Amino acid sequence: MLSLAARTTLGDTELDVELEVEPGECLALAGPSGAGKTSVLRVAAGLLRPRAGRVAVGARVWLDTERGVDVPPEERRCGYVFQDYALFPHLSAWRNVAYPLRRLPRAERRWRALELLDRFGLAARADAHPATLSGGERQRVALARALALEPQLILLDEPLAALDARTRASAARELAAVLRETPVPAILVTHDFTEAAQLGDRVAVIDRGRIVQQGSPSELAAAPRSAFVADFTGAVVLAGTARPGPDGLTRVELEGGGEVASTDAGEGPVWASVYPWEITVEPAGEKPHGSALNWVEAEVLTVTEVGNRVRLGLAGPQPLAAEVTAGSVERLRLRPGARVVATWKATATRLVPH
Amino acid sequence: MSSRRAFALALGVCAGLVVLFLALPVVAIFVDSSPGALLESLGEEGALDALWLSLRCTAIAIAIVLVAGTPAAYLIATRSFRGRAAVITAIELPLVLPPAVAGIALLASLGPSGILGGAIESAGIRLSLATAGVVVALVFVSAPFYVRQAIAAFGAVDRTLLDASRTLGVSEARSFARVMIPAAAPGLAAGTALALGRALGEFGATLMFAGSFQGITQTVPLAIYDRFATDFDSALALSAVLVAVSAAILLAVKLLVRGEPLGGWGTR
Amino acid sequence: MIRLGACALAALTSLAVGCGGNGDDRPALVIAAAASLTEALEACADETGAELGAELRFSFAGSDELAAQIRQGARIDVFAAANAQLPAELREEGLLEEPVEFATNELVLAAAPDAGIKSFDQAAEPGVVLVIGSESVPVGAYTEAALGRLPEAQADAIRANVRSREPDVKGIVGKLTQGAADAGFVYATDVRAAGEALRRIPLPPRARPVVTLAAGAVSAAREPELAHRYVEGLTDGPCADALADAGFGPP
Repeated sequence: MLSLAARTTLGDTELDVELEVEPGECLALAGPSGAGKTSVLRVAAGLLRPRAGRVAVGARVWLDTERGVDVPPEERRCGYVFQDYALFPHLSAWRNVAYPLRRLPRAERRWRALELLDRFGLAARADAHPATLSGGERQRVALARALALEPQLILLDEPLAALDARTRASAARELAAVLRETPVPAILVTHDFTEAAQLGDRVAVIDRGRIVQQGSPSELAAAPRSAFVADFTGAVVLAGTARPGPDGLTRVELEGGGEVASTDAGEGPVWASVYPWEITVEPAGEKPHGSALNWVEAEVLTVTEVGNRVRLGLAGPQPLAAEVTAGSVERLRLRPGARVVATWKATATRLVPH
Repeated sequence: MSSRRAFALALGVCAGLVVLFLALPVVAIFVDSSPGALLESLGEEGALDALWLSLRCTAIAIAIVLVAGTPAAYLIATRSFRGRAAVITAIELPLVLPPAVAGIALLASLGPSGILGGAIESAGIRLSLATAGVVVALVFVSAPFYVRQAIAAFGAVDRTLLDASRTLGVSEARSFARVMIPAAAPGLAAGTALALGRALGEFGATLMFAGSFQGITQTVPLAIYDRFATDFDSALALSAVLVAVSAAILLAVKLLVRGEPLGGWGTR
Repeated sequence: MIRLGACALAALTSLAVGCGGNGDDRPALVIAAAASLTEALEACADETGAELGAELRFSFAGSDELAAQIRQGARIDVFAAANAQLPAELREEGLLEEPVEFATNELVLAAAPDAGIKSFDQAAEPGVVLVIGSESVPVGAYTEAALGRLPEAQADAIRANVRSREPDVKGIVGKLTQGAADAGFVYATDVRAAGEALRRIPLPPRARPVVTLAAGAVSAAREPELAHRYVEGLTDGPCADALADAGFGPP
């Protein structure tokens, strides 16, 4: 398990974080630029020494400012995937991956590097140099290189940000699979909450150097503790399977029951996402008003005031969050336990391949 | 003629003039005398001595510049410290010094009457009128060419490469050799080529500081100067050889660097 | 944009051309003279220039280098060499008018002040560092002539002590005043010009070469009339006095 605590000054921001990540768990650290996300990674890796802090992985203490312990990065065994991948331009792909394998005999190094590249489907590009690889290929080489280290902690800095939209989907899928398989703790940094929700087991939202809320993605979306978190968490994300429908719309069968329609095209496993403020809540029993096509029955779990808006955490086949005015809450007598129907338009439903 | 075409023509004329001006003297060296006469003059003992001395001293001087200059350039490029700008200016200053001034500077500092002259003499080191003096003069005039390029080259290397290397288990010292130097290689090679050219051609400072004696201190440029008034063919032959050697070095350096497909990725 | 470029080019060209011309209306006289004549000719330059009504421009270097420049067609009006051979050669090649021998000099051994060299015999001692002129320069040729007139053993010992062959006599003097060498073969006039810095040691009478300086007007001179008058003035005029003051002997 990773336990990290750090307090230091970054420019005008004061960084003050404390977090724990279980082995095999991936914590997504999400927040806007300048919030200090990358600095947390650098502290964990030993590239940034905080004014005060402690970093320990299992029984190994890597940093303890009180006791004067500061293990240098080269001795920590942190697999760090940098934002621009930081592949060594003068080395081929397999040599990049073999770089951390200094202790092994020569023949074995190449074999292990090829094995890793093969796992990511890059065996054919083993001799290519980074300049000739595509963005997605570079990302996979960087990941393979980090894993070659057999690290005790995995750090990922915006691993999908440099990829174009098309590559991002498949890359997210692969990354999620890798994270599921690795038995060590992982921290993933992103400015995109959807990405955090997709790849992280838990999400910690960081703003101006402080973690403002931690929890599962749906918890954060349902019960944001601040307007910042509310705005940041954005969409509700539902898992389901899509198939083209008769009238040009795509039908998505949701896991746990229920069906929604979307104007996006899609087939197979997908994420269906919709923004909380596009969801209308009406008391159960009444037929849905308007031309909204999607409706899901749910029970109100939480009612959270965020400024002059109210976030409703709804328990349906999957967790939902809706955002309504305070007036609506009053008018419809929305309290925990109330049974409601959540509706939204097919045009407001976005599909992202799963 | 449209103004665009007129502009293109003017550019072409300027470029043509520049190329002609630079190429003509070099071509003239090879054309002004017969190849037979050139080879004959080369066989003469003094000429070969001068060539061998020039190559030896330049090689030693460049080796010193590389070994001492590379880590120094790395430090200056990657760390900020008080007086950094002053240090960079001090390194660049010899670049703009005329060779005669460089000679005076060396005499005033390391010459027998210079500031450190006494200390050098007591240490038993002979610089004046000795081969070591030639090497010292060459290092002084050529080092700035290399160090300046090396600072720029290291400065342009993406710093996260160093971070990546460290997280992958390689200490900073070893990362310097395994990652930073290869990543900066094109700039380092360019700096080496410039320094080589400058060292091979050095004349004024060497003459003033180390003198001119066959086999000991008379490098090729000095040998050329010694001969041109009385034996122009010999001077031509030596000049042709120097041009050929310099061109070969330049080509070798370019090829060495071309062989590494470095592109721009990861070194933004 | 093109107009700006054309203007710049025109300005640069006229600057370059203008560099060749002189600042005032007096004609310019270019005098190429041996390095050993530097102090003497510069001392009488003002007076002679006023007399001739010309602006005098000097180029001091090794006589061989200057002869080479004249052969290549450089714009020189007067050639004053440290020997009589080079002017005679140029005369034969039709590049110089009849040369005039205008002064003599003496080749001496000059010692650096704290070198401890007091007599000529010490030059042959092992461990003494000597500097002489390159063979292609008159002072070097005179030195070779002098050594040739010495007993072979002594000449060999002296040659073994040589550590640098300089392209002109000022280089030799420089090495001595810098303390880089113990002694060197230069002209008596150079020792005089260096003031107290160098000690003058005469050569054995048998070995002393005859150092005759000759000068002539360059055939392709721009100002042939002024050039001739300048050459005449070397034997009879302010420059003749200046040469005597500097330590040159009569022709």
